Amino acid sequence: MKKFKLKHWINYMILLALAVPFSVIAFTGTVKGSTSLMLTQIAYSIVLAVSLNLVVGFLGELSLGHAGFMCAGAYIGCFTANYLHTVIPDPTVVLILSMVVGGLAAALFGFIIGLPTLRLKGDYLAIVTLAFGEIIRTVFMNQEIFGGALGLTTKKYGKTLFVIAFVMAIFTVFVTQNLMKSKHGRAIQAIRDNEIAARAMGVNVTYYKLAVFVIAAFFAGIAGVIYGHNTTPVDYGFFSFNYSVEILVMVVLGGMGNITGSVLSAILLTFINIQLTTKLSGDLAALKYLIYALILIVAVIWNNAPALRKVRARFGLQRLIEIIVHKFKGHRLKEEGGMEAPSTADWSKVPTKIPMDALLSTDIVPEQSVKEEGDKK
Amino acid sequence: MNTLINGLCLGGIYALIALGYTMVYGIAKMLNFAHGDIIMVGAYAVYTTLALTGHTVPAVIVAVIVCTLLGVLTERVAYRPLRGASPLAVLITAIGVSYLLQSVSQLIFGAGTIPVSIGNWGTLELMGISISISSLLTLGLCVVIMVGLSLFITRTKAGTAMLAVSEDRAAASLMGINVNGIITLTFAIGSALAACASVFYLMQIPAVSPTLGAMPGIKAFTAAVIGGIGSIPGAMVGGILLGVIEKVCSSIPVLAPYTTAIEFGLLILILMVRPTGLMGKTRREKV
Amino acid sequence: MKNFTRIVCAVLALTFCLLCATACGEANYTANNTTYVIGSTGPLTGDASVYGVAVQRGAMLAIEEINNAGGLNGVLFSFEMVDDMAAADKAATGYTSLFEKGMQASIGSVTSGSCASFAAEAEGDGVLFMTPSASAENVIETGENAFRVCFGDAQQGTLAADRLVETYSKIGVIYDTSDPYSTGLYEAFEAQMTKLNKVKDTDYFVYSFTKETNKDFSTQVSELKAKGCDVLFLPFYYTEAALVCKKAAQLDFNVPVFGCDGLDGIKDQLDDTVTAQVSYITPFDVESPDADIKAFVDAFEKKYGEAPNQFAADGYDAVMILYEAMKAAGVNDVKISAADLADLLRPVLTGGTFKYDGLTGKGMTWTVEGSCEKDPQVVIVDRD
Repeated sequence: MKKFKLKHWINYMILLALAVPFSVIAFTGTVKGSTSLMLTQIAYSIVLAVSLNLVVGFLGELSLGHAGFMCAGAYIGCFTANYLHTVIPDPTVVLILSMVVGGLAAALFGFIIGLPTLRLKGDYLAIVTLAFGEIIRTVFMNQEIFGGALGLTTKKYGKTLFVIAFVMAIFTVFVTQNLMKSKHGRAIQAIRDNEIAARAMGVNVTYYKLAVFVIAAFFAGIAGVIYGHNTTPVDYGFFSFNYSVEILVMVVLGGMGNITGSVLSAILLTFINIQLTTKLSGDLAALKYLIYALILIVAVIWNNAPALRKVRARFGLQRLIEIIVHKFKGHRLKEEGGMEAPSTADWSKVPTKIPMDALLSTDIVPEQSVKEEGDKK
Repeated sequence: MNTLINGLCLGGIYALIALGYTMVYGIAKMLNFAHGDIIMVGAYAVYTTLALTGHTVPAVIVAVIVCTLLGVLTERVAYRPLRGASPLAVLITAIGVSYLLQSVSQLIFGAGTIPVSIGNWGTLELMGISISISSLLTLGLCVVIMVGLSLFITRTKAGTAMLAVSEDRAAASLMGINVNGIITLTFAIGSALAACASVFYLMQIPAVSPTLGAMPGIKAFTAAVIGGIGSIPGAMVGGILLGVIEKVCSSIPVLAPYTTAIEFGLLILILMVRPTGLMGKTRREKV
Repeated sequence: MKNFTRIVCAVLALTFCLLCATACGEANYTANNTTYVIGSTGPLTGDASVYGVAVQRGAMLAIEEINNAGGLNGVLFSFEMVDDMAAADKAATGYTSLFEKGMQASIGSVTSGSCASFAAEAEGDGVLFMTPSASAENVIETGENAFRVCFGDAQQGTLAADRLVETYSKIGVIYDTSDPYSTGLYEAFEAQMTKLNKVKDTDYFVYSFTKETNKDFSTQVSELKAKGCDVLFLPFYYTEAALVCKKAAQLDFNVPVFGCDGLDGIKDQLDDTVTAQVSYITPFDVESPDADIKAFVDAFEKKYGEAPNQFAADGYDAVMILYEAMKAAGVNDVKISAADLADLLRPVLTGGTFKYDGLTGKGMTWTVEGSCEKDPQVVIVDRD
């Protein structure tokens, strides 16, 4: 039997810890409306963050149009749901069917957007995804059958929506995690680390790039359908570039290519956002973005600044926890911290992985710019 | 014809903002998402000085000074600590700075739109077409600034140093160029251009609000990419192209609701044909 | 690393267990109320925040006035407003947080999109709301507890068409295709024009813009000027309308400008370059000689240092209507649940005998559908 590995199960444990107790409450008694709304938002944020991480963290392409996929899923999925409600009486069946439709519709858009990725790189690709996101929502907004500027009126699912939303979140994590553990996952990460080398090794770059975009879009579409069943009307303004950025922030704060990080930061950021919105009512509302912005800047500088590496190693969160653990266990502490958070997930530490950039680069450049080059690619 | 002039005028503004994006990208290798909000701060500076003194000239000067200082300050506080970190981390910080500037200006000036009275010099009749003089002024000054900037980059020592840094930062520093200083200078120039853009923007749209910079920022970013990000003539061409397209679309009622979609569609088309924009340099990728 | 994750796990599990304890809902959130709580959501930040802030100020003034007069049978009122940034999802979140804070009646949301979301949530809990300014038709269609103070989009658009056709032959229209208020007005206008046998592109010319396009309006205005229009109909909000007016003045196109209640507040946005006559349909005129309005305007200026606009007056009226209706219904229990209160208020509001004389109209009555019946007036902006 394989050894039980916590890091493979931690994501499920976090999600279940969040979902199960509340589900029990929801089915035995009444759950607060606000709690249910918050859990649903957390769940679809997780779906979005994890699926975007697939593109940004694992494939290494910056995408600024994730909200666009969500928009396609929300409009088409909820439009289908509105129709299905007249045919099928059971709302759960309608929800699941519409999630499939919404997901597939978004996947189709993902395929279309994936095509230019074959030709474009880095920031050019980023702006194209941004452009597609804006095009998608503009086009949907101008369709009379989708409600025009008023938005598409949907039927709310009810307070137990978060249960299904969490099932979808677990499903997303399951698919992403297992995909990344498979040979396909290693191929995708090889493309991120060095596309030319991956191609030379026989990895079908075209196929994998498209596949990643399609899968990510599929999950974003599902998140859109959940959003549509949680909020009515589905309004084009929600899916703006700003929302894509919000998802990206979750991914970056959680750590690129780190699924647990995405899950945790999706939970945390959604929670902070809701708390700031509802607690800072009245005149204090303007302070919300100020606080949010400061958290963002400080967190990013703290986590990434090269100058703070030493400080981080001494006083960082992981080090603190280590100290506590070691004190608790009575072990001696390792002297040099060196607890830099790995930039990729743990299961990407394939023993055969060679730092291609460093080995094959013919340029003689200082160490730091090698790192930069690697980041750029 | 009128539409074309209007488009050129709007395009000039986009081009000025795009220049800021493109310079910062070319030299610091980062997308400065807070650039649009620097325009917003510039607009508030113009508004405040106008309200205090009532003259346009001091307003422009104050705006340029405020924006330059702000640009340098954000670079020092928010971006420099991240030099050498992943570009995405810098991107997120830039977004944080953008939120910060917006919320601070909302706290100071309130959320509402404030009207600004900044010169109305009437219209000029030219071959049966009436063109507002401020449009012409905007267009003219945009061209002057762009030519000046090109000359600065190619003819002065600091400009050449900028080119060197954008080519290869490590090699430039080996040649004795103060890379940090050059990057600060770039931010200063980019922000000063943003201040100029904010003045022209106010001539066209005489009102300020905390979210004023967001949309022009994204449009100008698009323009910079169309022209080939990192290329100065590219930013001009991209900006003017985008401005004209936007105006032509809004003059045709059927297309007007889809204006944004058409602009971004054009961007995608151009990038499909030329993956590094109209005037971008294609860099061969080394393994 | 293993220990790290294990610790994180434990901490998380503990947090969520604690969270759970607070998550258990109870049906009666109003049991601990010591004042009557009126709630609302609206944009307090972002592009539309000027409307949200105005409603908030108007409503606060009303609450103050009620409390200074001793409240309802000695019980005071409190008002709580949550920022929704004019977004549907935030309005829903805001609603639930308000409901759980013990909100008993509401003045809904400020903008149409978020009010539709608010209404869908409120319908489930049976909360009555009286929106001051969400004018889209679908806002009050959701249920029997949805009411509004302002005119509906259809009412205004139709009225505008009737008015304009009387005096003008070539009407230039600009509207915002991305805004529900503006499209609602325009669609009603177009329908009425068709009914009046007017043809698009000969009797009236239409140009549009969106939130995402640049708002310098030079194209739209110069096209309409070239068409020789003799009036501009601007069915959107005053900040953008002021920009159109200025652009028209810049291009020497000084035809009269006509708009709907969104144009209220435009006076402060115009400078002396604009010479055209500006008029709009509005239920509220800040310069009205009416004593109630004068008192309100004075109190508002004293408190906030600026003149109120129509949204502030709507907000004030909405709170006052709820108060008067509660008085008429003989409410005398501070812990009354929202649904019970709605059951008391609804028959009063739609009963036919309840009339309210407010700042935004005299003798307001409500239909069973929730729309407000009052006389519109056209105000010509006095530019001295």
